[in-house]
Amino acid sequence: MTTQAAEQLDRRARDALAELLLAMADDEFVLGFWDSEWTGIAPVLEEDVAFASLAQDEIGHAQALYRLLTELQGGDPDQVAFGRRPEEYRHARLLDHPRTDWAFSVARRFLYDTADAARLDALVASAFWPLAEVVAKMRREETYHLLHMHAWVERLAGGGEEPRSRLEAALERLWPDARCVLGGIDDAPLVAAGVLAEPLAAVEQRWLGGLAPVLEPLALPFPFRRAGDRWEPTTAPPGAGCRGPQRSDDFRWLWGEFTMVHRSDPEATW
Amino acid sequence: MQVYEVFRREREGGPMQHAGNLLAPDPELAAHYAREFYGRRQESVRLWIVPRAAIRDLADPDLLQPPFDRSFKKPAGYSTEIKRKLAEARARAGGGGGEAADAEDEDPVVAAGRKGVEQP
Repeated sequence: MTTQAAEQLDRRARDALAELLLAMADDEFVLGFWDSEWTGIAPVLEEDVAFASLAQDEIGHAQALYRLLTELQGGDPDQVAFGRRPEEYRHARLLDHPRTDWAFSVARRFLYDTADAARLDALVASAFWPLAEVVAKMRREETYHLLHMHAWVERLAGGGEEPRSRLEAALERLWPDARCVLGGIDDAPLVAAGVLAEPLAAVEQRWLGGLAPVLEPLALPFPFRRAGDRWEPTTAPPGAGCRGPQRSDDFRWLWGEFTMVHRSDPEATW
Repeated sequence: MQVYEVFRREREGGPMQHAGNLLAPDPELAAHYAREFYGRRQESVRLWIVPRAAIRDLADPDLLQPPFDRSFKKPAGYSTEIKRKLAEARARAGGGGGEAADAEDEDPVVAAGRKGVEQP
């Protein structure tokens, strides 16, 4: 069925689609692994279970997307997930940062989940319908992720001096790289082919339009100002290398962790 | 942090049953955690999340386990009476009194029904 859907796309759209699927899958995969680092050490037992469950959901989304990608261009999903060098991963630079402290992980996931939700909105009616089907399922799980992250951002913002200052510092640090989630993709052929409903720049505007009424009342960092009907950044653009190939030492460490078993015996089955 | 008791319904039409409890700082996070603990494997169609403080606990034996014989308040009291009346009715109808004696330990309604089948 994936082959049939792909046959309607020209060469350029198909290449861009493969690029998009790999970028999205790597985003979910790497975030899932970073957040699973909280297992056993989250602030309270209940949150430990909740955050690990969110992380597991992301790995599940990554699995579905890697599968779509290999149906499109051949190959083995496990090999794509675990068999590449660190510089071959295409996740956004937002996910190059380590887990750091709790406020940092909350801020990162909040920025990622909200940007991802805006991206999924633009894919739910995709002309590449196997992706539309996967996206419809992902969105249902993301409903809970969004609720949970909004709850945490509100609590840290109003939870006293230390939680608030840690959250502010994390957002300041993460904002430039957060914009990479909706960047680093050749989106024009995807829009032309109806795979993506609108350019990523428009998706970013929707994302910011949704975040302003959340972050501004809480007086949290939001480095954009209104210019007519658009949000304009008040800081420098994220620049080149939004999705590699340069990778942080932190990501290289994480890569060493999550590929350890695969590298010990790439042919193993279980 | 507060303790919340969680009740879950396994399938539509089923009863709400106590699932367990959890700690949460407020009702919203309590709902999130309840979902994680008792709903994330699609094992529930509905959850009730109740602060333990809202529960009126009653375990006084003077109220729940009174010392005198109160067996007449139990539904079995009615059951015995029905059994006696059925036996009388059978006797009046000329049915075998012996069978009624055999069926003494059975539910009288079931026994009467079976008797009807055996003697068309």
